Amino acid sequence: MADSVLSAHGLGKTFQVGKRHVVALADIDLSLRRGECLAVVGESGSGKSTLANLILGVHTPTTGEIHLDNAALPAERQLTHRKRIQLVQQNPLSALNPKRSVRASLRLALDIHGIGTPQSRHDRVNSLLSDVGLDPALADRRPAALSGGQRQRVAIARALAPQADVIVLDEPTSALDVLVQARVLALLNTLRAQHTLSYLFITHDLAVVRNVADRVAVFENGRLVELQTTSDLFSCPKADCTQRLLAAVPVVSPSELALRDALSKRNDHDEP
Amino acid sequence: MKRIVAILLLNPLSLLGLVLVSAVVCGAVFADWIAPFPEHRGAVVDFSNFNQPPNWPYIMGTDLVGRDIFSRILYAYRISLLLGVVVLVIAVPIGVISGLAAGYLKGWPSFVIMRITDVFLSIPPLVLAMSMMGLLEPTLINGMLAVTAMWWPWYTRLVYNVTRAEKQEGYVLAAETLGASTPHILFREILPNCLPPILTKMTLDFGFVILIASSLSFLGLGVQPPTPDLGSMVADGAKYLPDSWWLTVFPGLAILVAVFGFNLIGDALRDILGAES
Amino acid sequence: MSAPTLAIDNLDLSFKGLLSRTQVLHGVTLTVEPGERVALVGESGSGKSVLARLVLGLLQDQRGVEVSGRIDFAGTELDQLSRTARRALRGRDMSMIFQDPTSSLNPMFTIGNQFHEVLQRRKPNLGSDQAHDTARSWLDRVAIPDTDRVLASYPFQLSGGMNQRVMIAMALANNPSLLLADEPGTALDVTVQAQTLELMRKLAEDVGTAVLFISHNLGVVREFADRVYVIHRGHIVESGQTADVFGNPGHPYTRALLAAIPRITGEGIPDLPEQIDLSHPPVHHNTGSADHG
Repeated sequence: MADSVLSAHGLGKTFQVGKRHVVALADIDLSLRRGECLAVVGESGSGKSTLANLILGVHTPTTGEIHLDNAALPAERQLTHRKRIQLVQQNPLSALNPKRSVRASLRLALDIHGIGTPQSRHDRVNSLLSDVGLDPALADRRPAALSGGQRQRVAIARALAPQADVIVLDEPTSALDVLVQARVLALLNTLRAQHTLSYLFITHDLAVVRNVADRVAVFENGRLVELQTTSDLFSCPKADCTQRLLAAVPVVSPSELALRDALSKRNDHDEP
Repeated sequence: MKRIVAILLLNPLSLLGLVLVSAVVCGAVFADWIAPFPEHRGAVVDFSNFNQPPNWPYIMGTDLVGRDIFSRILYAYRISLLLGVVVLVIAVPIGVISGLAAGYLKGWPSFVIMRITDVFLSIPPLVLAMSMMGLLEPTLINGMLAVTAMWWPWYTRLVYNVTRAEKQEGYVLAAETLGASTPHILFREILPNCLPPILTKMTLDFGFVILIASSLSFLGLGVQPPTPDLGSMVADGAKYLPDSWWLTVFPGLAILVAVFGFNLIGDALRDILGAES
Repeated sequence: MSAPTLAIDNLDLSFKGLLSRTQVLHGVTLTVEPGERVALVGESGSGKSVLARLVLGLLQDQRGVEVSGRIDFAGTELDQLSRTARRALRGRDMSMIFQDPTSSLNPMFTIGNQFHEVLQRRKPNLGSDQAHDTARSWLDRVAIPDTDRVLASYPFQLSGGMNQRVMIAMALANNPSLLLADEPGTALDVTVQAQTLELMRKLAEDVGTAVLFISHNLGVVREFADRVYVIHRGHIVESGQTADVFGNPGHPYTRALLAAIPRITGEGIPDLPEQIDLSHPPVHHNTGSADHG
């Protein structure tokens, strides 16, 4: 707990749909350590997206608090809070405004948070693009003129621009082709080390989790059902939900097949 | 740019629209030079040439007091276009701003804006304009006011719907998590994405404003004599059908040409803006 | 030996734009034998989805589309068929499952209604009682509980996984000889996706339907297909029995695709070569496609 950069304490969210109350998230205690990649996995409706929205301040929690550096975040976020917690979304095409150039999208992040002098921001945009492995010459293009991988790199650069230290990655590679996914994951790993970033990596793909995350939090029906280090989870998965997710991972090599079978035999039952 | 030219050239209807609209606009702008009898725009009487069928130099004939109909149509276009520009210049910004706000904001501001809009939309447009004109003096300015009052809610609706859809897009969430201000999100992020449907509707509406204004003056509620107006020309001539057919047919055709032209251009614009994104 | 269910020979496809012409498929040759499960794997923009649309005959009549080469369906060249004959094939002898099950069902009609319509493509005079019974037995086969309620529901009242099962049932209900599945279930949860794929595989086997399975994920394909084609920018770069392609991938592109899949054994993020040698000639693993089960 000592070096936790972001933590949830008794966090819960209830939505009102008509006259019904729907509990999207209940009583979550979780902390993200500095420099860590914490994977949040679950099926749809498990509450993982709600968790992201609460952390980003898109929704306000019904119960509990979120602490940044051990200080509770207020309901109305200040720019200084927003600056530190950034987001990379699943669909990079939608995440970038189709009518604005890459430069305009990145400039916005710098302008809002007053990073550098107005004169230096032009160069700063270029260096951000180089950081994510893009040619600065692409800066004046619109998103439609970029490939899926390039767009996602721009979205990552935008998250880095305000000098954030917590980045919520919401399924950042599930809309990408496998080759592009591998390159984007490698980039995310490099950036995390370079800038001491902490990732909250939301995904449903346990194979990705295995290779990028330090710890894994498994959500089901708005509750945290399992929290383990990645290596423990892959040697002894506990929750049913984890088992189901494991069984759904497509495997390509015999050794993987053996591992998947071994893990699922440990606790054998099927969903009707 | 090359794409735009290609779309226009490959589609004969777009090209026709362009030709018609250019002809109308040129005719209106350069009426002083093109019109054979520029002075006939006003209260001129020439009983030696009254009610003439098309002949030289009166290519569309003359009206009951001997004025050249072709010249009067050109000047009537001038007023119609001016009306269209003024109405859209006032109605579109009101509609766009209220639509953006209602679409993006939640709770009572959105509710209030949209209910006011609904009230305006539920009154038949011509009835609304007619009652306003009945209340006010039937002058050009009031005509514009009346048409504007019935026009803006359509833009509010349009922009509201587009904004509601755009709000779901990831780039709006991205701007919010960056901490961008609400005006920035509305005008710099969402508005550019609403422009294609707005521009298309504006072009189509140009034709419809001309049509509505003509309807009003046809009913005697629009521009007053001796200022030439397509609607009142049709109305005045209708009494003398079918013998003096040119009194009605040519102003009627003039309305048709303008409305048709703007509609074709509107369709072409939709293709061009759609293809661009 | 009977004719292959689907034989595509040297298929070229170009889209003619206003000012330019883009070739999307370059001499694609592909066969699907009766009852066989074949996967076509490629990244976005590889042309894999347009190929499915060509087979269904949905693209040929569009403006700016230029096709050459031939597509034979059960021994008949598709181009020789009239438009009506081609339309009659769809949904009866050839059916399709799309990415998003909920949006491919009509929201205005109940599942029962839509099922009835599907069944009428094979038996035009089928009454609604018979249709209801047939539909119910099909929903049982795709493990849908409470079939009467589901048949009376509208698609939006059901979950995505449920709709996916309904789609599979509808697609197979007329015992088609070919099922085209374009990334089925990518819009769904992984766990649901895995279950429905397994279901589709089993049912296709029971009915004896050949499947052309289109996917971007080699990993998914491995457990599903008898044979695999790998497509890159409209060129088939590798083909062969699934075991051969996975055990001994010959083309650098296939190798990269395989290497890029994250492993649950935790080998880390793969180091992909910056440049993949695409000039490498296509690799066709030499196995007769007729000697499958």
